[in-house]
Amino acid sequence: MLLVPAGAWLLLLLVAPSLMILEFSLHPGLRPGQAFGAYGLGNYLQIFQPIYLQVIGRSLYFAISSTLTCLLLGFPVAYWIAVMAPKRWQNLLLVGFVLPLWTSSLLRSYAWITILRPTGVLNTLLSTIGLPTLDLLNQQSAVLIGLSYNFLPYMVLILYASLEKLDKRLLEAAADLGANPQQVFWKVTVPQTLPGIAAGCLLVFITSLGDFVVPELLGGASSMTAARLIYNQFLGATRNWGFGSSLSMLLILAVSVSIALLIKYGDQEPERY
Amino acid sequence: MPPTNFRNSRFLKRSPQFSMTTRRRFLQASAAATTGVILANCQRNLSDVGSSDGGNTASPTSGSTDTLHVYTWADYTDQELADSFTQKTGIRVVSDTYDSNETMLAKLQAGGGNIYSVIYPSDYMVQKMIGMGMLTELDKSQIEGVDNLRDKWSNPGYDPGNAHSIPTTWGTTGLIYNSTVLNPNPEDWAYLWDEQRQISRKMTLLDDVREVMGASLRSLGYSYNSVDPAEIEAAHQRLVELKPAIASFKSFGWEDQLMTGDTVLSMVYSVDAISATLENPDLNYIIPASGSSVWTDTMAIPTTAPNPEAAYAWINFLLEPENAARAVERLKFATPNQPAFELLSNELKENTDLFPPDDVLKNCEGIAPISQEISELYDRYWTELRSA
Amino acid sequence: MSQTVIQDPSAAIDIKVDVELRNVFKVFNGDTAVRGIDISICQGEFFSILGPSGCGKTTTLRLIAGFEEPTGGEILIRGKSVAHVPPYLRPVNTVFQSYALFNHMTVLDNIAFGLRIKRLGKAEIQQRVSEALRLVKMESFARRFPSQLSGGQQQRVALARALVNRPAVVLLDEPLGALDLKLRKEMQVELSNLHQTLGVTFIMVTHDQEEALSLSDRIAVMHEGRIEQIGTPSDIYENPQTPFVADFIGDTNLFQGYVEASDPAALQITTDKGLKMVVQPQETWNGATSQPVVVSVRPEKIQVSLNELDNQPNCYSGRLKHVMYLGTHVHYLVELSSGDCLTVLQPNRAESLPALHTPIHVYWSATDCLALTA
Repeated sequence: MLLVPAGAWLLLLLVAPSLMILEFSLHPGLRPGQAFGAYGLGNYLQIFQPIYLQVIGRSLYFAISSTLTCLLLGFPVAYWIAVMAPKRWQNLLLVGFVLPLWTSSLLRSYAWITILRPTGVLNTLLSTIGLPTLDLLNQQSAVLIGLSYNFLPYMVLILYASLEKLDKRLLEAAADLGANPQQVFWKVTVPQTLPGIAAGCLLVFITSLGDFVVPELLGGASSMTAARLIYNQFLGATRNWGFGSSLSMLLILAVSVSIALLIKYGDQEPERY
Repeated sequence: MPPTNFRNSRFLKRSPQFSMTTRRRFLQASAAATTGVILANCQRNLSDVGSSDGGNTASPTSGSTDTLHVYTWADYTDQELADSFTQKTGIRVVSDTYDSNETMLAKLQAGGGNIYSVIYPSDYMVQKMIGMGMLTELDKSQIEGVDNLRDKWSNPGYDPGNAHSIPTTWGTTGLIYNSTVLNPNPEDWAYLWDEQRQISRKMTLLDDVREVMGASLRSLGYSYNSVDPAEIEAAHQRLVELKPAIASFKSFGWEDQLMTGDTVLSMVYSVDAISATLENPDLNYIIPASGSSVWTDTMAIPTTAPNPEAAYAWINFLLEPENAARAVERLKFATPNQPAFELLSNELKENTDLFPPDDVLKNCEGIAPISQEISELYDRYWTELRSA
Repeated sequence: MSQTVIQDPSAAIDIKVDVELRNVFKVFNGDTAVRGIDISICQGEFFSILGPSGCGKTTTLRLIAGFEEPTGGEILIRGKSVAHVPPYLRPVNTVFQSYALFNHMTVLDNIAFGLRIKRLGKAEIQQRVSEALRLVKMESFARRFPSQLSGGQQQRVALARALVNRPAVVLLDEPLGALDLKLRKEMQVELSNLHQTLGVTFIMVTHDQEEALSLSDRIAVMHEGRIEQIGTPSDIYENPQTPFVADFIGDTNLFQGYVEASDPAALQITTDKGLKMVVQPQETWNGATSQPVVVSVRPEKIQVSLNELDNQPNCYSGRLKHVMYLGTHVHYLVELSSGDCLTVLQPNRAESLPALHTPIHVYWSATDCLALTA
């Protein structure tokens, strides 16, 4: 009985819309205001055309690279806040680090435009100290910078939660057994925080896969991503809701599979005692 | 207004220094344009700012005859306009804004638009919506001042006899450039290819498939609205050639980069270009000689309108030359209303960017609706261009 | 391990010192946890550090393990200073208070951890791990994860994980603290056996005096960052050097007082409540007349009589306030006429117990009590 409200919400907010998208996706070339035509897989087959595969490939590339960047940058920061910083400063540091989240991601992307543009902050700085300037804006590198910056706080938050729970005595135990700091890190810290690492990566991966503000604003002429392609199908001139739905289903599937993998393998870690 | 146009004329009113408030307003509006929160538009309660029920669009006030909900482009209306309307008629105005015709259409089709009695579809969208039976046939006996419209808009192709819509603003698509940097100055679309090296990675084009493809088609001597696959293919190839020189596709936000010198040339809508040129005398706007697109935005009453009487009152109010002229002075859009045009200051009247001479306009076409198949062809080429 | 104890290791050349602390201090953010302690622990010794919580005993252990650096003083392991030597380079292994087993590894991997770090050969690792598993009787649990084990089993794994590395010194931090009473007793026996089998130096921190007394060769009693006394269990129990040790180790009755007169054979003491006592001074006694002292009498050293005994120096009248029957013993609470309350523990001699409120006399000999300088 207690599950009824939760179940109802789930049905209303998650299952029903997904089923609707599924239904749309099974009518090739469906457009709004039209009667549903025959069922078919045409929308899904369309995805396999090289230009669309290229778009999906770029989205994956952006998502995977920004996830790795966030992990590489986020782990030391989270480790420092959770393990090394004085206890009473931890909350303050954490708040400071996630403060950018209080601003709109659009605003943050505009800030990066200001920094990266040809006559922007970065290049002014570089030329002041006599270094060659960089043409970063309207390139893939700008998208990676923007995505990583946008999602780094999420990664840090999740890794912090995981590292903060890390039993420090296990680190001492490993050192006691002869492990040097690197060995302690790879043999204890990383395995112990693996669920947090997986959760953080998954969150960053999913959100950057679906993000289109950053590629749109920072990516320049060649920045079409799956999210923007879907947007174009729904609200662009073509209004091919069928194809847009099949692309959406693909994203939903990718996200569901990764979450399922996380639940399955993330759960294998034995409980703490 | 052309398809998927993320125009944001709020941006027009910013100072060159980018005051914080305009910046924020701009970001708010463009956030709606880009973040995909498309159906949740920024809403402003024009006549009742600050009141407790100001943001209450969730509950349709269809029963109420003293409130008019208007769904419009950002800054086609403002507080002053709404106040004087309320003063005159006693009808409260609540206005929501959208950033593309498709957004507006999607919201109305999804049933979320049934509180609106007045909408502002662009030319091709009027045609499309008439086809879908979504616009009320206007009762001309309730409208005064239709004869004020200039000849060009008295019987437009997209809506013969203005049976379903009243033209309210118009404009063109063209190029804005920094005249102190570029030599020679551009005159036609061909410039983009001829001077590709000079403007490489310092050029932005509109983020709009039909406008960009149209420009390419026109540069080849074809129609802006070509439906010939071979011509479309040729236009696409020509854009692929240009691609390495394009910094980005932007329908808004190009002003910054142009003013700081990061870019030197942008393909833009006249309505956005005019205040940029007024702010910075180095910037010039041209309508390419071989022709471009000309667009019209209209006022129309959806068939679902809960308060048609107030809608007619609103349309009549804006057809009055004094009201229309005051709006143009403030908001800097071109009006098809001849007596209103006469009332404008000479400076505006003589601004050929705002009101281009007929010999320039004669080469321009409106963006015409195209068939699904051709639309998909355009879209595929667009996706290819944007992802290569 | 025999109970022959080396009070001064430097005196016996053939006894090697494994761990030595010289005037070690440790200050945490202005709080001094360890205030200048000196300890010498011999090779093969089972040494306990005993004290109430917060006395600095765990800090001392962590200083030896290397998890903390001393603020002052010096620590030597096998004669070498270990200042600035990180934990992973010290020849010690620790059994942690709540075991700190790696829950992402099986029992086998936990035990093999140290050996793999040392990059020993596969065969050797296997052989030593199974040896260690056999030692702690956990052979059949090698493939389990720590979370699938009971507390006692985890304890054994933690022991095996430390011992398998054949350290010079095994540090045990409250090793049995988390176990229930019965299991604790069992493990005490096993710990003792392990120690005797392996001959490795054990340093154990505990707050459980019984555990310390039953297992240790020597005990250091710590109080407020200082060592109150180091000695064999019987030393600590029979000859406490300070009132704190007397009170902390076992039960005792304490009387505050001062020395009225002293000669080498006997001290005449008057307690604050006015009782006259005769106490034989300890060998180390060097107090003077009018020196404030605390007289300590163990409950089991007090005799009870229904009649007054003239020939006893320390005989006082009182009444029986409470009797507790403990089976092997009987526990009496006696209120003296001076107002002092005494606990008395007598073997159960199957006599009928005196009734409550019975007038009664308690007495003890001058050699059965101690005068400790307060």
